[in-house]
Amino acid sequence: MFDKIKSNFNTQTWVLIPIAIAINIAIGQIVGLLKLPVFLDSIGTVLVAALCGPWAGALTGTLSNLIWGVTMDPNALPWWPVAFMIGYMAGRMAEWGFFKSWWKIVVTGFVIAITAAIVSTPISVYLYGGITSSGSSFITAYLMQTGTDMVAAVFSTNFLVEPVDKIITAMLAFSIILGLPKRIVGGYPKSEQAQVEGGNTQQQLYIAVGVIVVLILLAIFVISKITGG
Amino acid sequence: MSDRLSFHVQRDSFLHRLNPLTKLTLAFALVVVAFVLPFYWTPIFVLFAVIVPLSVSGKIFREFSWAALRLILPAVGFLFVMQALFQPIGEQVVFKFYFLDATTESVAYAFRNAARIFVMISAFTLFLLSTHPSELMSDLTRRGLPSQFSYVVISTLQIIPQMQAKANAIIAAQRSRGLDTESSFLKRAGALGPLVGPLVFGSLVEVEERAIAIEARGFTSKRAKTSLYEIADSKFESVLRWSLVALVVLSIGLNLWHS
Repeated sequence: MFDKIKSNFNTQTWVLIPIAIAINIAIGQIVGLLKLPVFLDSIGTVLVAALCGPWAGALTGTLSNLIWGVTMDPNALPWWPVAFMIGYMAGRMAEWGFFKSWWKIVVTGFVIAITAAIVSTPISVYLYGGITSSGSSFITAYLMQTGTDMVAAVFSTNFLVEPVDKIITAMLAFSIILGLPKRIVGGYPKSEQAQVEGGNTQQQLYIAVGVIVVLILLAIFVISKITGG
Repeated sequence: MSDRLSFHVQRDSFLHRLNPLTKLTLAFALVVVAFVLPFYWTPIFVLFAVIVPLSVSGKIFREFSWAALRLILPAVGFLFVMQALFQPIGEQVVFKFYFLDATTESVAYAFRNAARIFVMISAFTLFLLSTHPSELMSDLTRRGLPSQFSYVVISTLQIIPQMQAKANAIIAAQRSRGLDTESSFLKRAGALGPLVGPLVFGSLVEVEERAIAIEARGFTSKRAKTSLYEIADSKFESVLRWSLVALVVLSIGLNLWHS
């Protein structure tokens, strides 16, 4: 167990983590400035998870949430388990070989999103009574008014909002890794996980788009089950 | 712009002289008590009987109330309004707005929730105002936290302002060569690449150089490192910390017993 955790960390990992946290925060702010309807505040976390492993990713997520919380927006503090699981899950997916081509990245993003939705639901229900200060709470509130019970309402809201955000996050993290020189990527503990498989990238992107469509249909189906039933 | 990101205000007071770990324990204990003690007015009591007097005795009341009014109150107020309107509980309607209605029950519920969140945020604000981050980290390292954690926290606090400055410079530079950051959705989404790219690649290329630099200064050395600053800790504070832990356990117990 401890050896596994230790294998995520070398000096380069320790140096990368602060920079990844700063990337999370800086990109989060740029996205806010461009007024895009996503957060994209865990690109650095996914980057660390893919290059160094799940535990390094989890640490990056947790610390970036805590630091964001104590320096800018104290409202972010209670959400650290979500950031932890995002980093951890991204690392695990990379370990299982899902960080090697575009369509696999989409699957990774989707799995991360589901994990985030599951972890954030109890926090939102027990700490905030289901309605937080984020904008997507309007959907939750609407569902609750129409008689859906609180947990289902919160979960389906998260399930609606998270996948788009997390799939884009994973794709951006992947394209960053692709864009870096091999010499720089090579120094991290798990860099071989993030190497691209052979094959036509054009074709890869088409498959990725197909996978996104399938996942969206699946998501709509699941949500209609939860809220309708 | 300050070179390091922190709330900390340097004053000479009882609160500032306390050991960082004591203050951290205190903040956590207050939050837990406010959340789990099963009495309706607990959060308000904690706020006015503990947090506010502490901020006065710490000579940071002005900074604290500024943070409370500017940062905490808007967020908590929004939460209160949302919850009061949207919680589908209670019968007695006091206010109606289209399909939304606030009942006496939902207002009471929203008030308690908002008060709890207020306590949570203000307890940590108080902690951050009176504690310097490097003081906290060196104290925790002395107690056995791996020194790499202090490196990560402290250097993150230094890097973030640098990164923000860099991001602003990149935004200004790309705008000056005509990048559209304000019109249609697609244009704004397309602007993401030219803004994020230089920022991220620029900072990732530095990693290796930094790694070599800190490696050369004994970063991975297993030997105990000596610290330049002594951080005071007393028998009294250790007793205080354990009694806070006892208080937390007691209030969790009371919560379980009550329900």
